[in-house]
Amino acid sequence: MTLAIDATDLEKDYGDVRALDGLNLSVEQGEFFGLLGPNGAGKTTFINTLVGLVRKTGGEVTVFGNDVEDEYREVRDSIGLAPQEFNVDRFFPIREVLMHKAGYHGVSEAERERRADEALKLVGIYDKRNTRFDWLSGGMKRRLLLARAIVTEPNLLILDEPTAGVDVQLRHDLWEVINRLNDEGTTILLTTHYIEEAERLCDRVAIMDSGRKVTVATPEELTERGSDTITVELRDPPASAPPLDGLSEVEDTRLEDDRLAVRVAGSGGRVAPRLLNALEDRGHEITDIDISRTSLEEIFVELTEGQRGSDEPDGDGTGEDGTADEPARLAGEAR
Amino acid sequence: MVENPVSARFYTLLEREVQRFVRRPWNTFLPPMITNVLYFSVFGVILGTRIQEIQGFSYILFLLPGLVVLGAISNAFENASFSIFHGRWNEYIHETITSPLSYTEMVLAYVLSSASRGIVVGVIIAVIGAFFTPVGVEQPFYLVAFMLVVSLLFAALGVVGGLVAKDFDHLTVMNQFILRPLVFFGGVFYSLEILPSLWRTVSLLNPMVYMVNGVRYGFLGYSDVDPNTALAVLSGLTIGVVALDIAMFARGYGLTD
Repeated sequence: MTLAIDATDLEKDYGDVRALDGLNLSVEQGEFFGLLGPNGAGKTTFINTLVGLVRKTGGEVTVFGNDVEDEYREVRDSIGLAPQEFNVDRFFPIREVLMHKAGYHGVSEAERERRADEALKLVGIYDKRNTRFDWLSGGMKRRLLLARAIVTEPNLLILDEPTAGVDVQLRHDLWEVINRLNDEGTTILLTTHYIEEAERLCDRVAIMDSGRKVTVATPEELTERGSDTITVELRDPPASAPPLDGLSEVEDTRLEDDRLAVRVAGSGGRVAPRLLNALEDRGHEITDIDISRTSLEEIFVELTEGQRGSDEPDGDGTGEDGTADEPARLAGEAR
Repeated sequence: MVENPVSARFYTLLEREVQRFVRRPWNTFLPPMITNVLYFSVFGVILGTRIQEIQGFSYILFLLPGLVVLGAISNAFENASFSIFHGRWNEYIHETITSPLSYTEMVLAYVLSSASRGIVVGVIIAVIGAFFTPVGVEQPFYLVAFMLVVSLLFAALGVVGGLVAKDFDHLTVMNQFILRPLVFFGGVFYSLEILPSLWRTVSLLNPMVYMVNGVRYGFLGYSDVDPNTALAVLSGLTIGVVALDIAMFARGYGLTD
């Protein structure tokens, strides 16, 4: 089957700044794919290359088999994008904004109205349909970006930090909508800073850093790569941490008061029974046990830390708050 | 459910662009109405009665075609440059760029909508002028042709302006320091015949001279220059600038990183 996205040796330079550095990445059709990475990793640059807001410097990238430059119209017709920025037409009520967007994709007038209403109902802001964008609350603006992205019924839905700065209720509402679309066959590409979001939603996750792909795996596979910590509470703690030579998975032990923290490679649940046996064999009485799983967030930090110096440029042109900065955004000079 | 997608895409953007200025008449049509009532009152009625006839026409009648051109090109330029720059500034032009419109469709929608605003303003000014002085149309074909061409040309130049500008101030600068001097020395307020020979020759380098005289030929049947040559040159220029617009969109100039 043709890949939804296929990037090969993709490069993008902003003057001396290399935002994408030979990125190789493929997303299967129907997949829910997460793109994680610190600020400046190149996530937004990659997305903008797909939709025509960034011109690549080198490499190849196709969407459903169509080249993003040579067959730009087919590519753009297949993509719905909900960007980080609130880049919505200020002149017209939001229902008309959605109708315009559908019209740009060749949808007939009657169908445009139906789709606009349906999209507004789906994201829960239908009663604001005659309001202009500037008069919506922050959460409603975020919902509208999703409505605009889906009004064209895209095969590939790209969500760039869709839940940045939104409350828990809205985040769950958006997840529900996105999940439903994915279940119906829409390929989803999601970038997020919320690791929990990627862990919960995505089939596979790519971690990017400095314009390169660090790894691609399922969230479960990634968490397997980390170290779990088993904390046991001892009734009569020894003066120092007992040796656990028989357990090859043990990476580190630490004794604090009556609590012995044992860091193990892989799954803590698999090691715990043998650890408890080993401690009881040495005469320790265990009163409590807790296993903390490595979070995807910790894996993420582990995989990306040390790869970037503090003086590394912000490759995707976005700052901490997701706003554009120089020199990555040439168009941003107009601001 | 998709019907005739090529026209649907193009017409949606064209309609959006037309609606943008039609729904705000107090911003788009009222200012040129007020300005031209003042022009006709002061230059035509108050001063004009003290100025002798030019080439057999009363000054206010001689003035009218120039003011029509001035209004049409200013509004065509302003509409295209503002719409594109405002879209870039607030980044909502991304809605268009990320859609499957061809670059030619995008440019033609911006140019045609802006030219239509220029023509509407030109008609409004002519109607206002008719309240001040009886005016007829001696050469309807030339009037229509020149109005179309000058509005399209300045709409196309407005697209360039909107793509090149890096700040709202740049749009003002283009209007005040480029457009306005060309207009004022372009024969709106006087006939080239009254200029010394040297300045008459220099004036012929000003494209505005051909526009003003072309429209004046349409209204009055009088022109300082050959209208056919003027129409051919301006048409060629318009096609060239539209081609430049399309090339700039395709290159992503001012639009993409």
